[in-house]
Amino acid sequence: MLECTNVDAGYGKVMILHDLNLTVRQGQLSAILGSNGSGKSTALKTLAGLVTPVKGQITLDGKRIDGLPANAMTEHGMCLVPQGKEVLAGMSVEENILIGAFHRRKDKSGIAEDLDRVYSQFPRLKVRRKAAAGVLSGGERQMLSLGRALMSRPKLLLLDEPSAALAPKVVGEISDILRGLRETGLTMLLVEQNVSMAVELAEEIHILREGRIAHSRLNGPDFDTSDLKAYYLGSGA
Amino acid sequence: MVSDLVLLPQFLTNGLVIGSGYVLVAVGLTLIFGILHIVNFAHGEFYMLGGFAAVLGSQLLGLPALPTLLVVAVVMAAFGLVVERVVFRPLGGKDPTNAIIASFGLSVLLQNLMLKTVGAEPMAVKSGFAPGAIQIGNVFITAERIAIVAAMAVIVAALLLVLRYTWTGRALRSLSENPTVALISGVNVRRVSLITFVIGSVLAGLSGALMSTVFMVQPNSGALIVMKAFIIVVVAGMGSIEGAIIVGLALGLIESLVAGYMGNELRDIVGFLIVILVLAVRPQGLFGLKTERS
Ligand SMILES: Nc1ncnc2c1ncn2[C@@H]1O[C@H](COP(=O)(O)OP(=O)(O)OP(=O)(O)O)[C@@H](O)[C@H]1O
Ligand SMILES: [Mg+2]
Repeated sequence: MLECTNVDAGYGKVMILHDLNLTVRQGQLSAILGSNGSGKSTALKTLAGLVTPVKGQITLDGKRIDGLPANAMTEHGMCLVPQGKEVLAGMSVEENILIGAFHRRKDKSGIAEDLDRVYSQFPRLKVRRKAAAGVLSGGERQMLSLGRALMSRPKLLLLDEPSAALAPKVVGEISDILRGLRETGLTMLLVEQNVSMAVELAEEIHILREGRIAHSRLNGPDFDTSDLKAYYLGSGA
Repeated sequence: MVSDLVLLPQFLTNGLVIGSGYVLVAVGLTLIFGILHIVNFAHGEFYMLGGFAAVLGSQLLGLPALPTLLVVAVVMAAFGLVVERVVFRPLGGKDPTNAIIASFGLSVLLQNLMLKTVGAEPMAVKSGFAPGAIQIGNVFITAERIAIVAAMAVIVAALLLVLRYTWTGRALRSLSENPTVALISGVNVRRVSLITFVIGSVLAGLSGALMSTVFMVQPNSGALIVMKAFIIVVVAGMGSIEGAIIVGLALGLIESLVAGYMGNELRDIVGFLIVILVLAVRPQGLFGLKTERS
């Protein structure tokens, strides 16, 4: 579904990603693991159009999407849940959710349906729907950020560390939601530092190190995490 | 003292009229700043052009008040569209100083263009309203000035409704809140920027047109009001629309009281004193939120 071939990208003259190759198959949940600064967010931002690649190509369902502006991505069925639980702080929770449906704003009944679904997935958001998003807790913001992305009816969801800086209970809730989404057949690319969460959810795991995929392997019942750290840190093969 | 208090309602009424003009200019200025991050020093000239557009509508075409305002709105929308495309869009994404300098240049250019074409002679606009003042209690006010306040209220209410309840309004606010979230949600930054600039131009132009029945229209008539608008926007908090409305009206009232009770020569100074005071106590402005980033 998503194919990223020999991509170089970075900020100004500083290249962060080098020859990045990555495939995400339809219906699959893939995870990217890597240490701080290894370029995980840059990789997702590049896929989402927030960073423009200087080399290589990215295709989604066979269509070239590299070079498209970030605001065009929802129309192509891809949506990013950025790192840092970013919300529209001064706008209400409900407005934050609705903005995710911007590209299909004419679809009134569909939007009403999806809003109900998001509220049943995240009951906390329904309770707080009139509140300003800026006053929500970290967990609630992460839910909001996810709910907003789901409103775009994505085929592919890019998730940047959805479990970061959250209490274990909330991480569990997020895991459950992602598992539920995987069951619906939604394709996801998950960036995590939380190895156990990634291993629990993902069918394929990639290790990113210094802007390159250092290692990829399929998940399975006999999956061994003991050597993942080595790949992170660069001592693995 | 008693006789002084008798004048209070009159001063407040005068202040409300002037404040209405301020509100429309300041709201556009703060919108453009909040969304395009342009500090538009030419905003006073947009106001001035609105005044001349009103001269065009009412004197040259002989239109009544409402159709004249419509002409002003159309002219200013077209003007804003061209300016955003030609002057500011090419500077987008570059050092914001470029846009500041460009807006300065635009301000000088527009003033001189009007000086060359229509001359320095002040022009008056006849609105067609009955000239005499109406007495309400102790207050004397012309129908024209009641219309200014009413028009401001209608325009501002319409703007707030659009911002609150339409997709375009939501897109505008999302972009001023968090551009990344707006972008990844599918909001087209270029389109929203253009719409914002057009709205700001129309608001300034409408203000210039409305106030053209109070003050004369001339090429430099935007110079003072742009200073007032900046005072309002800074005191309110850059980007705060509700703040600009409240502070705009308040400045009109305060100026009128200061002029009435302390002397007319202090009218244009009081705003600067307020700005210094507010910035010392609350640098983000009265209604500005301290931007917190996670
Ligand atoms: N906007 C930016 N401008 C310049 N350099 C940046 C920018 N964002 C990130 N970088 C740099 O790019 C490199 C990779 O950053 P990135 O955010 O992709 O890492 P990450 O793997 O997501 O880290 P973390 O786990 O801490 O989120 C870092 O060296 C960082 O300093
Ligand atoms: Mg990151």
